[in-house]
Amino acid sequence: MHIPDGYLGPQTYAVIDVAILPVWAAAASRVRRTLKSRQVPLMALGAAFSFVLMMFNVPVFGGTTAHAVGAVLIAVLLGPWAACLSVSTAIVIQALAFGDGGITAIGANCLNMAVVMPFVGFAIYRLVSGPAPSLRRKIAASGLGAYLGLVAASISAGIEFGLQPLLAHDAAGHALYAPYSLAVAVPSMAVTHLVVGLLEAAVTMGVVAALARSDPALVAMRPASRPLTWLWAGLGALILLTPVGLLASGSAWGEWAPAAVKGMVGYMPAGLQRMSGAWTAAMPDYAPAFIKDPVVGYVAAALTGAALIAAIIWLVGIALSRRDDASPVPTDDEEPS
Amino acid sequence: MIPVFAHIGDEHGRRRSVARRTADAVGGAVRELLQNEDLAMGPGLMQSLDPRVRLTTVLALAVTASLVRSVWVLAAVFVATMVVAAASRVDVGAFVRRVWASAGLFAVLLAAPAATSCFTPGRALLTLGPLTTTAPGLAIAVRLVARVAAGAGVGLLVVWTTRWTDIMRALTSWHVPDVVVAIFAMTQQQIVTLMRTVEGTHLARESRMLSEGSTAETRGWVVERMAFTARKSLKTADDVYDAMLARGYSGAWPSIVRLRTRGRDWLWLCGCAAFSAAVIGADKLVAR
Repeated sequence: MHIPDGYLGPQTYAVIDVAILPVWAAAASRVRRTLKSRQVPLMALGAAFSFVLMMFNVPVFGGTTAHAVGAVLIAVLLGPWAACLSVSTAIVIQALAFGDGGITAIGANCLNMAVVMPFVGFAIYRLVSGPAPSLRRKIAASGLGAYLGLVAASISAGIEFGLQPLLAHDAAGHALYAPYSLAVAVPSMAVTHLVVGLLEAAVTMGVVAALARSDPALVAMRPASRPLTWLWAGLGALILLTPVGLLASGSAWGEWAPAAVKGMVGYMPAGLQRMSGAWTAAMPDYAPAFIKDPVVGYVAAALTGAALIAAIIWLVGIALSRRDDASPVPTDDEEPS
Repeated sequence: MIPVFAHIGDEHGRRRSVARRTADAVGGAVRELLQNEDLAMGPGLMQSLDPRVRLTTVLALAVTASLVRSVWVLAAVFVATMVVAAASRVDVGAFVRRVWASAGLFAVLLAAPAATSCFTPGRALLTLGPLTTTAPGLAIAVRLVARVAAGAGVGLLVVWTTRWTDIMRALTSWHVPDVVVAIFAMTQQQIVTLMRTVEGTHLARESRMLSEGSTAETRGWVVERMAFTARKSLKTADDVYDAMLARGYSGAWPSIVRLRTRGRDWLWLCGCAAFSAAVIGADKLVAR
């Protein structure tokens, strides 16, 4: 997910590079307040761990390997603000000492992997684990947080890529930087990371479980710093930003309507024709039928979708709590299931 | 069933084990870091400059490359980075290979679909089966690849000619807070320490395993090693802090920066400013 130089235009990287500065300042201030003078070596070791974690080859299948980002894992261990600083430090060193990731794209890479990923992941972790979680619930929450944190980071990168053709193009309308529109870039990044995220989740859960067995203090619940406030504020901002999707022209790559497929290939595939009417969505095209304004429709659809997901997570939380109450609470020495 | 001998996999053309691959990657990164330090300490154009001037001009060149539209001007910027690399006693062949291996090939793969009619309609150049390459699509793809290569070349100049301590000295003289510089400096040291640990644990597994084991078992072991590394990192932080206290740390970081800008630095700064202006001017002419 490290964006090299050349993919983002100056209109994008300059804004993000400047916008990331107050985030780093806030993170430094917060970390200084909570970790006191021990922060310096802890931050350095956290950053070094973040760097080295990305070098572990994790076997996937068929002899292939992949690596994890680990930002949510570090957020679970050190808190999201410390994770922001640690991962940012690792990204800067990767760019300047190893040439991995662009110099002008340092801000964008930090936004995706050191801000969006740990904060979204940690908020999900806190939301699902609740105030006094059992070990099993804590492990499950860390995995879900890592998964959704990585997907959120990939969507953030996809938006940055997808905005390039809109922000910078020549007289003929051809892109000067990353060439794919929002309709292609966002689904491509999101779908890829919906798969890759499974590895991130498995690694995070495995490490949290191993640490909980060997050194429970490391994964003890950190004092909450109003993470739910941040979560709701961020969610609200994202919901209000959903009409940005209307800027994209055409359909998302691979999400064409049957009529569009017929227009592209010259005939309607029989299977597609048979299956296309199997399910009728409650809100086709992300807008309730009774709302005519597309902007209001998008926001309404986002509100409905977010409320449904929140309700599902809430129900899962209740189910996990009942299961914990019914079964003996696993000790930290117990092998996680 | 004949086990795959993990430790001799690469010598006999067999697939290397996961442990061997990780150990090789980590060992390679440590070697690269040390080689970069050697190169940056040697004689050469970039190495002889004040680190602040080096970082400023490289950042300016990266921004310049991002502003250029013409493929030919981007190619000229890349050639200029090769000339500077050669003047800095860098092996130009290795420089070009590294640029293409690290960023160029990925850019080619990413840009290739944009060259087809699926994404960029226009005058057809070549049709291979269902794929048609179009003229405007090819122009978009080539421009992206040229821009990424030019940007990677500029970035590699810093990586190969600047010691990490020089970057820290430059940051200190720019009044970046001491605590930030200290975190960066310590992180770089601890990265090497942790990478050595990771390399050692993977080589140890490699040397005592007859076969690699199942994917699930290997994945479990890798996750355990990650947890071990996390534990070691966080525990080491306490030891490092105690060592800092023992050496008189009181919250402030003494600065021993002795940087001085000389005539050649100003000359290089002016030369780079003129080059950037010429590049942007040439780009406007070509684009017109």
